[in-house]
Parts: sequence; C-alpha cells; structure tokens
Amino acid sequence: MALIDLKHVGKTYTSEEVATTALKNITLTIESGEFVAIMGPSGSGKSTLLHILGFLDYPSEGSYHFDGKSIEQYKSTELARVRNKKMGFVFQAFNLLPRTSVLENVKLPLLYSGLKESRWTERALKAIEAVGLTHRVQHEPSQLSGGEKQRVAIARALVNDPEVIFADEPTGNLDSKSGQQVMEIIQDLNEKQGHTIILITHETYTAETAKRIIRVKDGEIESDTAVKKRVDARESFTK
Amino acid sequence: MTLKYTFKTALVGLRTNKSRSALTILGIVIGITAIILVMSIGQGAQDLIVGQIQGLGSKTIAVIPGRQPTGPSDVASLFTDSLKQKDIDALERKENAPNIKTIMPVVFGSDSFAYGDETYRGTIFGATDLMQQVFDLHPDQGIFFTNEDVKSRAQVAVIGSKVKTELFGASEAVNQKIKIKEKSFRVIGVLPTQGQVSFFNFDEIVMMPYTTAQDYLFGIKYFHRFIVEADEDKNIGATVKDIERTLRISHNIEDPAKDDFFIQTQADLASTLSTITNVLTLLLTSIAAISLVVGGVGIMNIMLVSVTERTREIGLRKAVGATEGNILQQFLTEAIVLTVVGGLVGIALGALFSFLVSVVLSTYVGLAWKFTFPITASIIGISISGAIGLVFGIYPARQASKKSPIEALRYE
Repeated sequence: MALIDLKHVGKTYTSEEVATTALKNITLTIESGEFVAIMGPSGSGKSTLLHILGFLDYPSEGSYHFDGKSIEQYKSTELARVRNKKMGFVFQAFNLLPRTSVLENVKLPLLYSGLKESRWTERALKAIEAVGLTHRVQHEPSQLSGGEKQRVAIARALVNDPEVIFADEPTGNLDSKSGQQVMEIIQDLNEKQGHTIILITHETYTAETAKRIIRVKDGEIESDTAVKKRVDARESFTK
Repeated sequence: MTLKYTFKTALVGLRTNKSRSALTILGIVIGITAIILVMSIGQGAQDLIVGQIQGLGSKTIAVIPGRQPTGPSDVASLFTDSLKQKDIDALERKENAPNIKTIMPVVFGSDSFAYGDETYRGTIFGATDLMQQVFDLHPDQGIFFTNEDVKSRAQVAVIGSKVKTELFGASEAVNQKIKIKEKSFRVIGVLPTQGQVSFFNFDEIVMMPYTTAQDYLFGIKYFHRFIVEADEDKNIGATVKDIERTLRISHNIEDPAKDDFFIQTQADLASTLSTITNVLTLLLTSIAAISLVVGGVGIMNIMLVSVTERTREIGLRKAVGATEGNILQQFLTEAIVLTVVGGLVGIALGALFSFLVSVVLSTYVGLAWKFTFPITASIIGISISGAIGLVFGIYPARQASKKSPIEALRYE
C-alpha cells in the first residue's frame, strides 16, 4: 500500500469572486522510503501540492489517501496529530521561533506530542546531534548562520521521528556550501534512516540528489521520471 | 500540551515583549488599585464609625422627642417638648421597665462661654452624674458634679479641654467662674482631651446638672433626650418595648403611628451608618470597575495586534502538530496571565496606598484609623482580573486558533 495516493486532485482558490486553478487532475503515488523531488517554475503549483500532501491545505477535487486512509476521514485534531507524529516540515524561510534557544525550537513538536516532558530534552538533543549542532544548543536563531538555521529546522522536523519529511526549497535561502551540507543531511535521512523525503526545488542539481523527479507545470504533472545519474551531495554538489 | 508548559510558553511569549506587556496591563493595574483603595478605605471608615458608636456603650438606648421625620412637611417631628419629668418617674418604676439600669435625662444647646475678656462658643450639655459612666468621662482636674448638685440646681460646670485652653490658657480653671447668658457658673472640673467621639466633641463642651441648665439657661421643663442603659445586651430589645409601652401610657397615645417620641439604639445607629458607608463604597467601586472594562478592551486590542504579528508562529505551531485547542489555550493563557499579574500588582499598590492613607489619617488627622489588609477585596480583585483576561482574551485567541497554517506560513 502506497504511503501517499492522490487521484485526480485539483485545487481552486476563490478570492474576490475570481477563481484561480492551482492544481488540476494530479494522480500520483509515493511509496514509503522514496526520495521525490518536485520541480517546476514559480507559480506552477508545486508548493500547493506540497501543502496538500502535508495536510496544511485541502484539495478541492479528487481524493487523497495518506497511509491508506482518506483525508476526509480525518478529523481536524487527527490531522494535527498526523502532522505531529508522521510528518516533518522544513521551510525555505526556516521559521524558527525568535529569541528562543535551538533546544527549545527543536522541542516545539514535542509540546504537542503527548510524550512525557522528562524525555523531551533527550529527544531534542539526539535530533540536534543528528544535524551536527550539538555545540549550538543554547544559541538563539539570531546567532546562527543560514545553514545552521536550516539544520535546526531539520532537527525540529526529525524530533518526532516522522514517516515523511516535506522540504519546501530548503536550500533556497542558502549559499552553495551551506546548501550542500543541508542536502547531505537530507540525503542521509533517506538512505540511512529510511525517511520518505518530498523535496520542492527549482534547481536541477538539487533535484538530482533525489531518486525520482516530478515536474509540475501550470498545475499539472508534466513528467515523472526516475533519476538515472544521481548526485551524491557529499561529493559533487556545486553550482 | 501540559498545563505547566502552557504557562511556560505564555510567560516566554509575554517576556519577549516586556515593555508592551507592561503597558498592556497598566489599565488593569490602575483599575484594581482603585478598587482595592476604595474598598479598603470604605472598610476603614466603617470600622471607625461603628467602633466609635460601640465605644459609647452598646447597651445605651436614646429616647428622642418628636417623631422620626418621614418627609419635609411632617409637623409631628417638631413636637420636641414631649419628654417630661413624669416620663422619667414612670420609667423608673420597676414594674414598667424591669431591665433599665439607669436613666439619664439630657438637655443641650449652644451658647457663648465667657471668662474675663475671653469668649468661646460651644455646646452646653445638661445631664446627671451618670454622664461619667455612660460616656466614660473623668475630669483630670477637679471633680464631676454630684447627684446633690443636680437636686439643688447648683451653678457648677465641668468644662472640656478646648474650652479650658481658650478661656483660661495655661492658668488654673478650677474654682474660677465663667459666664453664660450673664449667669455665673463655678468651674469644678476640667476634662482631659477626648478628641471627636462619634458626633460629640467633648473638648468643646460645658457640662452641668440638667436642672441647672433647664432653669438658668434654657428656661424649659422638658428634655432633649433620655439616655437609658439596659442591664444587659440581650435585654435591649425588651427594654425598647418597655419604654415604648410606658411612654405611650404616660402620653395617652393609643395608635403607635402617633408616637411623639422615637427610640434609637446604638445597634440601629451602627447599622444605619454601615449601610451608608456600604452604599458609598459600592458606588465608588462601581466607578472604579468601569476602568477595568477599559483595561480589558486594551488587553483585547493588544492581543489582536499580537495575534497578527505572530501569524507565522501560529502557522508553524500548527504545522508541527498544534491543534486549534492548543493555540486557543496558549493565547488565552497569555491573556489571563497578563490580567492576573496586573491584578496582583494592583492589589499590592492598592494595599500600599490604603496603608499610606491610614498612616496619614491616624498620624496627622488624629482619627483612630486602623489599616487592615483588604483580603476580600483582593480575592474579588484577582477573580475579576482573571475573568477580564478570559472575556477579553477569548476573541483574539479564537482568531489565532482559526488561522489556516498555510496562510500563516505565507505571511510576510
């Protein structure tokens, strides 16, 4: 059974009586353990697709089954729970809480997890270690570089050990060296830890770190191909 | 999310905007301060008044001529000569009023007292030697007049400390003669300084046998008051009834509505005055409470701004698994923490100010004003401020919880 199963999904926004179609007729399955890059020019609908996949937005047409269950069958508290337990998000703009330490930022998903508070610090430290920021635990976001901020965001996404990690242009705000470090971590998460990764990017070299590339244009899937010559982020990641 | 962490999150949220949080709670602080101050001063005033009335002896009953006036055109209230010697004789008979311990007839008026070139205007109080025990008055120079002086209409006077100072200065007053209405009275005693006791200022008084005052000064045969003392507290009610019955017979009154006298106990007086101070306190407290509503609206306003500012934070929290309930709880807790902190600061300030007021009143004004920490007012204050946080926080908190996560994350 596929982890993610979309059938004829469409999304139309209506604002001030003007309907804008962001997605139409998307049919797509993603298996557990895959590493998928979604590519497309800006305005192509790739972000909308990611939001729908990540339970942050609802499709206006079609069906979406996550883990075998239709999105319509989830109550809003259950959606929150799935986001908390099974999904991790990494955003282009990092979205860390200002004036809050790295440790507290990484703990954030644990607040809503139902896990005993006595275990929060241990879990958060493990996630911080996984992204190599143990020496920055008590720093605040303003004291970190862009690459470090994004690694904190990845640690936050990891802390509940989710099934799937959604990364929306994670390297978009980073220089190439930091971007490479971030992609290394993401690639490892897929290969060594077995996390499903869904990555949005408009850069081909970033997309080619994935195993499969889905190209989106004007709200439709243009192509869906396996990556033949995969880029190893550790070795040849240059602009 | 645990309650402890909700609080911690709220505190962090408020601490990141320290000066704004402080300004936000200012309205609540001022409102609660005003309420505590008003309630504390009201309580102090009430304690003072009731204490002084009870200081006059809780067993005393005043019989007052005329009728309790029921309106401006009530002529009966003017029948002020209804209390006569025959009434005293009737009340003194044990079969009429078995629980009466003492009856003291009283006459009073105001006039000028003269000694040499000095004059002073004050109150003349004609009574009996029982005055000493009823009002706990004991001259510190000379003596009080006796029952013999009352019978013989002796032209003697006991003067208050202010009268003494004004007329005699530092020189000896006892055995000197003062003049009132061209008649001479020998000073036999001087009272120590008493200060204001209830409605009388005994420092500005000249006391003499009532017989003397009636004959030589007022030219009347009736009395202005009977001060009756019951033998025990529990017999006050029965004694009041005995007095009413006896006086009605003595005055040939059948219909109680036509009474030409009325009776006031210290308890009546205390409860009437307590009612007045309570109403005043309530009135002022209500005015102060309006400022709390204004403070609450201020909180709502700032919380709404804060919700807009923190749209991104809300979106993020939702993306990592916060439910609407979690977000609602977080912002509501922030509002309540704000208002309760405001309430606590207000209580501290209110208590401090009312303590200062009590110091000023007791040190500089000379009132026997006691400071008591307003516990009831504090509990009310904390509850009200918490409730304000709840009422005015719920709308912004709901706004926050309803934000869609992608709208929130897109927000720049």
